[in-house]
Parts: sequence; structure tokens; C-alpha cells
Amino acid sequence: MPFLADQVPVRVVDCGCVTPLGDAAKTCAALLRGERALQRIPVAGGEGGDRVPMAMLPGRALDETSPPAWGAVVKKLFAPVSGPAWGTARRPIFITSSNFGVGSLYAYRKTGDAGHLTYGTPFACADWLRREQGWGDNFSIFSHACVSSHLGLVQAARMVAAGLAEQALVVAFDFISPFVAGGFHALKILNADFPSPYMNRATGSIGLGDGAAYAVLAREGGDFKILGQSLHNEMYHFTANQPDGAGFDACLAPLAEKAKSQGLRLWLKGHGTGTLEAGRLESTRLAEAFPGAPLVGWKGSLGHTLGSCGLVELALAIAAFRAGRTPGTVGSATPTFAPAVALEPFSNREFDAVLCSSNAFGGAHAGLLLAHD
Amino acid sequence: MADPLTFRLKNIIVETLHLEGIKPEDIKDDEPLMGSGLALDSIDALELVVKLEKEFGIKIGSSEESRQALSSVTGLAAFIRQRADQSRLPS
Amino acid sequence: MIERFIQIVKTDAPGAEEASATRERLKGGFPPGAARRMTQLGMLIGSVLGAMEPTAADAVVYLSEFGESRALESFLESFPGASPTLFQTSIHPSGVQQGLIGRQRSVPELFPFAGAGGIVGQALLAALLSPAQRVLFCGGEERGSRLRELGVASERTFAFALALTREAAPGVAGRLVLSPDDNVVSKLSLSEWFGILDQRRDYRGPLVDGFSLQLTWGPT
Repeated sequence: MPFLADQVPVRVVDCGCVTPLGDAAKTCAALLRGERALQRIPVAGGEGGDRVPMAMLPGRALDETSPPAWGAVVKKLFAPVSGPAWGTARRPIFITSSNFGVGSLYAYRKTGDAGHLTYGTPFACADWLRREQGWGDNFSIFSHACVSSHLGLVQAARMVAAGLAEQALVVAFDFISPFVAGGFHALKILNADFPSPYMNRATGSIGLGDGAAYAVLAREGGDFKILGQSLHNEMYHFTANQPDGAGFDACLAPLAEKAKSQGLRLWLKGHGTGTLEAGRLESTRLAEAFPGAPLVGWKGSLGHTLGSCGLVELALAIAAFRAGRTPGTVGSATPTFAPAVALEPFSNREFDAVLCSSNAFGGAHAGLLLAHD
Repeated sequence: MADPLTFRLKNIIVETLHLEGIKPEDIKDDEPLMGSGLALDSIDALELVVKLEKEFGIKIGSSEESRQALSSVTGLAAFIRQRADQSRLPS
Repeated sequence: MIERFIQIVKTDAPGAEEASATRERLKGGFPPGAARRMTQLGMLIGSVLGAMEPTAADAVVYLSEFGESRALESFLESFPGASPTLFQTSIHPSGVQQGLIGRQRSVPELFPFAGAGGIVGQALLAALLSPAQRVLFCGGEERGSRLRELGVASERTFAFALALTREAAPGVAGRLVLSPDDNVVSKLSLSEWFGILDQRRDYRGPLVDGFSLQLTWGPT
């Protein structure tokens, strides 16, 4: 079901992110150089285990501390949007994550230190963040696996478009822990191999990464405009998509129609975690919906930042537009599932817009069409 | 007389996956485990893998390898015989 | 002012009923085999949502403060041999996905909310701003065990579902109206909200920052 900004355009006034490679500009520059943040790290942190590809913020260990070590990094990232002007009736906050404080719950189980419980539930974690940032308490918490931040963007845009908010702040964060690493390892997709998104090879694999981002939406300001957003949920299976790709098509169709009607020249920032079947379906359906549009994915370098990936990668797409060049699909090589997969960086100066898409467990799909003024 | 390993695998399948109304002897040796009458799916397969790794000391590295190993009870038994320490197999 | 009509409402408050008893009570409402991996929360949400007869055009808004706390407890206990089933089940919004996947019911929009505070009001705003003609508004909790003792899981088990429409159809059960109100700074809790639905109580008062709610039962 699409949200198309035909009547009331919603603009991205401010946007930023942090990854293990740095802020949005530094991360984009590193991706342009083809750098990989992922390293093989024991899946159970201090308790060892198989070594799997993960990327964590510098100085942060997989095992959570109390208070969480990522708090200081997020505080610095959110500095431009700190203070009591946010979290009011007219300037709501949408806090999105798939993990919130599960790393703290795991740490409590291992250590028995009740201090970890302070951050353990979604509300406790979000409210701690709110107090650290000095925000008011008008905030929503979205948690829907890897499309969490997209949902925050949709609802924030709707509030602004309806005149119910002057501005809306969307924040996203996910920091990996033995809880989530153990889970993906049990699913046999976080294994010894580094991810190669959209590459047609014998086995698939993902990496996991730390990530956080924010965006301010309003009716005016900034140099990026949201042309449309779309969502769909297949409810076919928890970990598999409908084999014919119909779920992807349902989400992409309204945005493809929008792009076509406006004659937009666009590039595609896909989800591309490195799994095989999902990568094949996603890349081929994107190629069908947006013929000729180059497709990139950056999880081969950064790992999958889970619920925050939509907003982290949106911030990177904006940084790419500002840099004039879009990073290629780091970590991948031919053969790819679709010819449209761009392995190398390319100039984006002649492009009008980018489609940013993400997918999640349960066959959830989300897309956002962003135009550069 | 049922092969002890095959018998044990069928019990593992029923117990681990909480298959109500199904007895181990109802599972045919060569019937595909996925997408058949048992209606098992990829998550069931992975749950079985965790149990099998623990019981037999084997290692399955990827989801693709899981699918190959769990083709049928017969196929799974052959996979385990090939990978496991013989001392961990039921006699 | 935003107005919607409550066409169908369903609640379930099983008190101290154990998960196994809930499964026995409700499993007949799901396809054969679907119930074996479902949690208590998943069965309750799936059951009340099933009463709405979801269609492919309906949007769904789901709210749960704690989500799948039993699966979360069990997943933590499964380490070092982490269970993929429990990992999957513990991830929000598994509680609403279990029933929808069991019935193979696709949903164009699903907004899952978590946490306390203004969860009811924020979720209602999402429901009312959805372009869908009908929005299924559902949620609930399952009583935790050890995590509850630590204050990080629910004390109660309950579930609710409403079908919200833009127009009143025959058989309408109630009407709700959200009104901007800059004087409102308090929030209606999920527990209070459930009480209003379960007891079919009229309500007029604060909903969430900047909005008040009026809910009246009966035909309009």
C-alpha cells in the first residue's frame, strides 16, 4: 500500500548515520574505496565460538556493558537533534530498532548483574536514550525486524503530511550482541564466509554490523524530497519469500509507476544481505520493475545493521549524492543474479533519485523513493 | 528390525519438532522430509540441525548444507554416518 | 478531528490459563499443524484477529509492550546451542505474524508498536492515518515467568482486536474520535485501553500528547 507524496511533499531536512567506518561522509568515502568493515569475530564474544563476519563500532566488544557502550556514540550522533524541543506533541520522535536492549538481557543472563536490566526491554532502552538526549516523552517505538526504520519514516511522513506534526524525528539503532549473532548463526546464514550480495555462488552468508542513524522530516527545508514510500507483508513464511517474487512486486509496483510517470532516472540501493534465494529474487524483481537502473548494496562491507539498515543506508545514499558518486556493491563479484548489479562505483550526477529498499522476516518489504533537488 | 540410527532419528524428529499425532514409526525412511506429508519447513530443518549437531558431534556449515543433509531419513542417516564419530552412533 | 467506526471487537482475557491450555482451547481456529510452533501470545492474537476475518486489503496495527517474552526467556536459556525456532519466535512482531503466516494472509501494511508510554495513542494515530479502508487494530501481552519476576515482562495475559472503518456499516459496535488537544500530556496505557474494550466502557479523556480520545459504544 503506497504513501505517495502527491499532495503534500515531505522533505528530509537533516540526516546522519554512524557505522564502524565512521559518519555518513566517512563511511561513503570508505565504501567508494571498496573497504570492508566486516571482520571474523567469535560468534559468542568472550565465550568464543565459530568466527563469523561482524562489524562493530571501534572499541566496542560484542558483550554488552552496563550502561551500554554504544550510548556515547549515539549521543554524539544525535547531538544535532538533542534537547527538549523534540519529543513534544508537535515534534514527535519515532524510535526504531529490531534489537533495542536484547544484548543487555543476554548480558544479564550471563553475569547476573541486574544493572543490565535497566536497558533490557524496548521501552526501557528507548526511555534511557530519551533521557540521555534530553527529549520529551512523546515518542513511538517501532520494532519490525529489518524494516523497522522504514516504518518510522512512513509514519513520520504521514504525521507531517497530515499537519499533525511540524517536524518529525526518526531515529534508528541496532548494536550486535551474542543474542542476535547466536540467533543468525543458528539459522546457518551467519557462517564463516563473508557476504557477497547478489552474487550467484554456491552458498550464501551474511555479516552483521553496528549501525545508528537519524532523519528529520518536515514540509520544507533540506535538499531531498520523499516522492513516495511503499510497504507490503507477504506472510508466506518467517524466513522465506514467495517463490515467484510477488511480494517484492507488490511493494515496488507503486514506486515504479511513480518513477516512470515523472520520467526519473534513478539508481537502486537494495537490501542485499548475501543470502542466495532472497538475493536472487530481490535483484531480479528490482531489475524487472526498474529496467536499466543500477543496483547496489553495501552490506558486503558494513554487514546487516538489522532494524536500522533502512535509515543508515538512506543516510549513506544521501552522502553518495553529495559526493557525486555511488559506491558499488563491495564484497561481490561476477556472476551476479542480475546484470543491473553495479559492482564498481559510478557517478550519480545525472540521476534524479534513488530507490532505497529493505526486506525483513515474514516477507516484509519497504521502499522509499528519494529525489535530490 | 529397524536400523538403530534411523529409529533414533525418527524419534528426534518427533520430539524436537513437537509433532502432535505423529509417531516415529509413521515417518517413512525415504519420504522427503521437507514439503511432504510432515509439512516440515526450513525452520524445522534448522532446529533439527541444532539437535543433531549436539547429539552426534557433527557440524553443518550453511543453510544449503542443511537442506542437502535433510533430504530424507535415509539421506540424513547416511550423512551422519559419514560425519560422526562412530562412538556417538546408537548401536 | 479524526473519526472511525468500530465494526467488530473481540477480546480475550484468560487470566492464569497456561500456554498449553490456551493452545488446546484455540488450536481449532488454525490450519492443521500451524499451532505446534505458536506461542500463547501468538495463539491469542491470531484468534482475536481471526474474528476480524482479515482480507488482503486490510492494514494491521499491532501493539504489545513486551511481545514474546516467553520465547525470549527460552531462547536465552537455549544457549550455547541457540534455537533457531525460538530466535525467530522471539523477534517482534512474531505475536501477530504467527497467525497471519499460519493462515497465509498477506497484509499491505503492518505497523508493530512496542514499549509502554504512549503506545495506544501512537498506534491509533498510525491506524487513523493509514489509507486503508479498514484497519485491524490488535494487541496484547502474555504473562512472563522469570522475566516477569525481574520486572521485564507482563504480569497479565490478554488480547484484543478491533476492525476500524471510515464509514459506519450495519452492525457497527462503536465510534471513536481523536481530537487535537494541546492541553493533553498524559497517556492512556495499554492496560487501561484493554479494560475499556473488554468492559465496553465509554471513554472520554487523554489519549497521548496532543490528542484526546472519545470512544462510545453502540450503534451511531
